[in-house]
Amino acid sequence: MRRWAVLATAVAAVVALAVLAVARWEEGRYARASAARIARSTAAYFEAVTPANRADSSDFDLRHLLAQARALTTLPGWEWPVEIYHGTAPLVDAAAPPLPPAELERLPDWRDGAALVPLRGPLNGDGDGEAVVGVVAVRPAGRGGLGGLLLSWAFLAALLAVAAAAGAKFRGRPHREYVAAALLLGLAAYTDVRGAARCSTNDWLTATRLLMQEAATRLPGPRVRVVLADVAPIGLGADLVWADSGTQRPRRVRIRGTERAVVAARLGSGRWADIRTAPAEAFTSVWLVALLGIALVGPFGFAALQWAERTPARPLRETATAWGFLAPAGLHLAVFSVGPMLFALYLSVHGASAGFLEPVRPYVGLENFRAVLGDPLVWASLGKTALYALYVPVSMALALAVALVLNRPGRAALVLRAAFFLPFMSSVVAVGLAWQSFLSIGPRDWLGSQRTALLALIVLSIWIQVGYQMMVFVAGLQRIPQAYLEAARVDGAGAWQRFWRVTFPLLRPVTQFVLVTGVIGAFQMFTLVYALTGGGPLYATDVIMRRLYETGWASLEFGRASALSLLVFVVLLGVTWAQFKLLAGRRAVEHA
Amino acid sequence: MASVTLRGLTLAFDGAAQAALRDLTLEVRDGELLVLLGPSGCGKTTVLRCIAGLEDPTAGDVLIGERVVTSLPPAQRDVAMVFQNYALYPHLTVSENIAFALELRGMPAAEIARRVTSAAGRLGLADLLERRPAELSGGQRQRAALARAMVREPSVFLLDEPLSNVDANLRIELRAELVALHRALRATMVYVTHDQGEAMTMGQRIAVLHEGRLLQVGTPAEVYQRPADVFVARSLGTPAMNILAGRARGTAESGDDRMFESGSLHIPIALPTYEGELQIGVRPEHVGVCAVDQGAGNGDILIVELLGNETVVHLNAGGQPLVARLPGLVDVQVGTRVGLKLDRRHLHLFDASGVRIQ
Repeated sequence: MRRWAVLATAVAAVVALAVLAVARWEEGRYARASAARIARSTAAYFEAVTPANRADSSDFDLRHLLAQARALTTLPGWEWPVEIYHGTAPLVDAAAPPLPPAELERLPDWRDGAALVPLRGPLNGDGDGEAVVGVVAVRPAGRGGLGGLLLSWAFLAALLAVAAAAGAKFRGRPHREYVAAALLLGLAAYTDVRGAARCSTNDWLTATRLLMQEAATRLPGPRVRVVLADVAPIGLGADLVWADSGTQRPRRVRIRGTERAVVAARLGSGRWADIRTAPAEAFTSVWLVALLGIALVGPFGFAALQWAERTPARPLRETATAWGFLAPAGLHLAVFSVGPMLFALYLSVHGASAGFLEPVRPYVGLENFRAVLGDPLVWASLGKTALYALYVPVSMALALAVALVLNRPGRAALVLRAAFFLPFMSSVVAVGLAWQSFLSIGPRDWLGSQRTALLALIVLSIWIQVGYQMMVFVAGLQRIPQAYLEAARVDGAGAWQRFWRVTFPLLRPVTQFVLVTGVIGAFQMFTLVYALTGGGPLYATDVIMRRLYETGWASLEFGRASALSLLVFVVLLGVTWAQFKLLAGRRAVEHA
Repeated sequence: MASVTLRGLTLAFDGAAQAALRDLTLEVRDGELLVLLGPSGCGKTTVLRCIAGLEDPTAGDVLIGERVVTSLPPAQRDVAMVFQNYALYPHLTVSENIAFALELRGMPAAEIARRVTSAAGRLGLADLLERRPAELSGGQRQRAALARAMVREPSVFLLDEPLSNVDANLRIELRAELVALHRALRATMVYVTHDQGEAMTMGQRIAVLHEGRLLQVGTPAEVYQRPADVFVARSLGTPAMNILAGRARGTAESGDDRMFESGSLHIPIALPTYEGELQIGVRPEHVGVCAVDQGAGNGDILIVELLGNETVVHLNAGGQPLVARLPGLVDVQVGTRVGLKLDRRHLHLFDASGVRIQ
């Protein structure tokens, strides 16, 4: 009893510390990323403003470099400890130790708490420039944020709740306080991470603004006016646009549906430019999930331990084993079903991104759904799909008839059952291609005609599916005890009456299974269309899955494709629900 | 109502080593409750299925009344069957189950309702009519299956171990109910069981089957008192009849009985001319104990079972095992030797192959 309580306390403490550690690590990562980015901008600044030693030299004028390096640290608002090495010699703090020559050759990203970025020499006419002539080192600005304070408080609260929960008797009560504390801890940790992310973007914007403003005054002449192209390298690819005026504090602006971090830099008298970049905190939502998840491991572990403490060893072992067996399937389901579904949900309410891999997508609400529902091609394909799905009851009737005939012992029945099953076992594409050549032999091209293409697919699908459905029906028939049929015979029922009044009702769960899976399968049919008709001729076989594929992979409209897939999901849900309602008018039959 | 006659019924299943039924001839009289008794696998259920038309006999005929029905389908035989597992249609309610056969016949709905209500009322199912079989207890399912058979008013009822799936207490109760039902309906019933208690208490006549052959038919008393062979003798009564193997010795010159010897037992028997191996059957209640050397022989007591109203003693009589059933509580000690008395009026004599001699 005590052992369990101690264990529970340990679990709770470890989980709380884990949340804290993850948050701290992520914070540090943002600080380092920010420092590295500032260092790159700083290097770009020096490369832009420092004149060359001589006209054809690939080295900077050292006096200029020294003056500008010193000037950088005195800029009002510059809060990042910076060191510029010319070769291995420090310029800002001459008393500092020089850089080891070996490190200049193979520059590490990080050294002594500072991000290191190579400083490349000026371009000369020979084109052999851009040699590394020095190093820019930037340390993150040390500051204790509000988030850290919050985090400490929440941690304390969580520890208190854990202590209270564990100290109290180890009983079967839901520890609501602990769950609340854990959630609070996770939330606080996330706030901290988000704050760090926001801070890293803001730091870089601020530094870049200062660097650009400084550069605007120091660019080597002769220049009439500064143009954006002159300072653009300092922005490291961020958007630069002329603006009327602006605040010099970083702010968040929604531009065409996308959140951007913006700061205004003054590039001359009355000339302002906005520096726009993706705000780092926009990508932290995964950390909300992760941190809340980690935090909730505590309460879950607590509940699990409570359960384990109450449960005797044998069922405990059995349950653990059962979960062990379920885990791979569960993981597979989570990664390949639930995950993509959630992603589709996300995609369906967001617009297209600039690049395929660019994660920032503007939120567009139900725009994708509106577009999909307003598309006549979508409606046409839904109609085609529904028409195509009508093959399911036809093939089911055939399959049931075959099953009734072949549900008997003996080698002949076995061989025939295998023969019917063969098309289903073969590759759909292979079967389809075989039929394609077969169908084009005759006097008319069945797949090539707009009137007959869908019909040909329906016939082909029946041919493929009958064997499978027959096998399921045979399995169902063999599960029906003979006694019911014998009772019916004695009761005076003929063969037809026995089928309608006994066999068919007892087969209902199987029939329902075949129907539901068949209709779902029909709605998801893609391979045949893709292999045989490509949706043609003239959209005659453009079923919903092909429309989806077309939208997603041909037009690269993932938002719309996701919206369409969700619509298909809703349609299938409705169809399935209706089938259950219609067919399961009575409760499931149990064999008495 | 009608009689059922089986004439030389033989049934061999494909691939089976021996026939399930061998030249079986039996008459079930009109209105009679006949019990088919035998161990599992003896063919008794097969007989029932042949009567119902669920099996086609290889040879022989089935007659219901005067009509030969051997090649008729079950539907045209006018028999009702209660299956061992009841076989109530799981997708139908109790009332739909009972009405099933009537609906198939196209009977008017009002008449069906009347019959269902009446049958259900008779078997105490009135409150359960809308339930499904899965929602019934074992005894209720059994009654529903009976009602389903009864409502058809068939010529013959076939019952296949209908009580084997209900618990012991309920079985005794239902046994009495079934007998009462039989009396009330005056129906011809063929009742299959492997339980000798059911056979003795319920059957007007008992037919004992063994390996597809009919061994004996008779009233319970006849079959108990004059078993036709050793198998029948041991099938009825608990503990089972003692069978002593041995040989008759001596001659009957002086009109005296000859002496039968088995183990330590010497039993005088009135069989003047019989020579060869002999088996004597004696029921445990006809074995008594007395002082050593005062009876037909001596036996060592192996086991004593005190049952209260009687005491069952297992003995070893010079290598011949013997069971005695003594009334009341008898004070005998395991390991002691006692004399044994056999009631001469209740000895059953069988030849070496087990067939009754007298």
